[in-house]
Amino acid sequence: MDSKDWTGRTDGTDWMLRSLIWFFRWMPPRVLYAVMGLVVPFYMLLRRKSFLAIYHYYRQGHGCGRLRAFVNVYRNHYAFGQVILDRFAVYAGRRFSLEIEGNEYYKRIADQPGGAVFLSSHTGNFELCGYLLNSVGKHLHALVYAGEAEAVMENRRRVWAAHNVTMVPVRDDLSHLFAINAALEEGDAVCMAGDRLLGSAKSVVCPFLGRPARFPLGPYALAVQRGVPLVALFVMKESASRYHVYVQPVRLTAEEEALPRRQRMEALARAFAAQMERIVKQYPHQWFNYYDFWNTGSARP
Amino acid sequence: MEELIQQLKEEIIQALNLEDLRPEDIDADAPLFGDGLGLDSIDALELIVLLEKNYGIRLADAAAGKEVFRSVRVMAEYVAAHRTK
Repeated sequence: MDSKDWTGRTDGTDWMLRSLIWFFRWMPPRVLYAVMGLVVPFYMLLRRKSFLAIYHYYRQGHGCGRLRAFVNVYRNHYAFGQVILDRFAVYAGRRFSLEIEGNEYYKRIADQPGGAVFLSSHTGNFELCGYLLNSVGKHLHALVYAGEAEAVMENRRRVWAAHNVTMVPVRDDLSHLFAINAALEEGDAVCMAGDRLLGSAKSVVCPFLGRPARFPLGPYALAVQRGVPLVALFVMKESASRYHVYVQPVRLTAEEEALPRRQRMEALARAFAAQMERIVKQYPHQWFNYYDFWNTGSARP
Repeated sequence: MEELIQQLKEEIIQALNLEDLRPEDIDADAPLFGDGLGLDSIDALELIVLLEKNYGIRLADAAAGKEVFRSVRVMAEYVAAHRTK
């Protein structure tokens, strides 16, 4: 499947999503996890493309044998289910405990004048970053896929607004560009996915888990164009009630600093790919790119 | 105006890394996005930054951008009328 076909839309009708939030107000999370665990095998069977993408991720990316890869596909889907349920738990008002690694660096970036670009990825549970951002002065503008289900958008808007976060939907009219450009100029932060193409089709092929994969050029181009710091954020689930947040600068080496602009952008993409690889090796089941991530067939320079 | 068009073409080629193009390869009246030069959103941001840095022009929104980036000639006319440096 081409990555452009993958829309990243949360499944389920608005009615279902609303009911889920309602359930969360009185159902213990562990009960919901257990029910979800029973549904996962059916989901795996019905979503053959996602199944195969993750199966190959374990086979080739982590060197798992057939049986182990199969069991791990279940664990991966289960982890994804937990992350989605946790997201609704937040909409319903639940709080998780967060352990933050790199908080000093984060505070420095947040407190200094001038913009910054934060990189999200489809690992762990990035949306929970809202808590982290709550405590700082920098307003955050998050680029999001414009076609999400209305119930998801509505709840995000509500929860995120309380945490100083504005959503910027990516549209064909390029309105998002003006929004993020103005935001960076005013010293705000912009957040976008560092691992998936959204908007521009331009990409950088980087080594990832032993094979070349396509990363978007956009976020890295933006950091170089505007000369702002680039920060990777990973929010990884540790237990039913605990998450570990990693705040990491994405930097160029001294030699890379001297390269022409375009090559600096590409070097930043490779740096992020290496950082994400370390995270994914540490949390192999929290990888949620359900398409052939290593398909570089339609790569555009 | 022709001088400004030429200058803009050179700046566009440099900013967008279009090394295989010469200024005369760019039609001053062709659209920059879509069918013309085929630029995309990353390029658009480069052009927004270019107008800001080189001419002190801040484009307010997507509507202004759509208007200004119709062609290099339109861009030059806009720059001539609104430049602050």
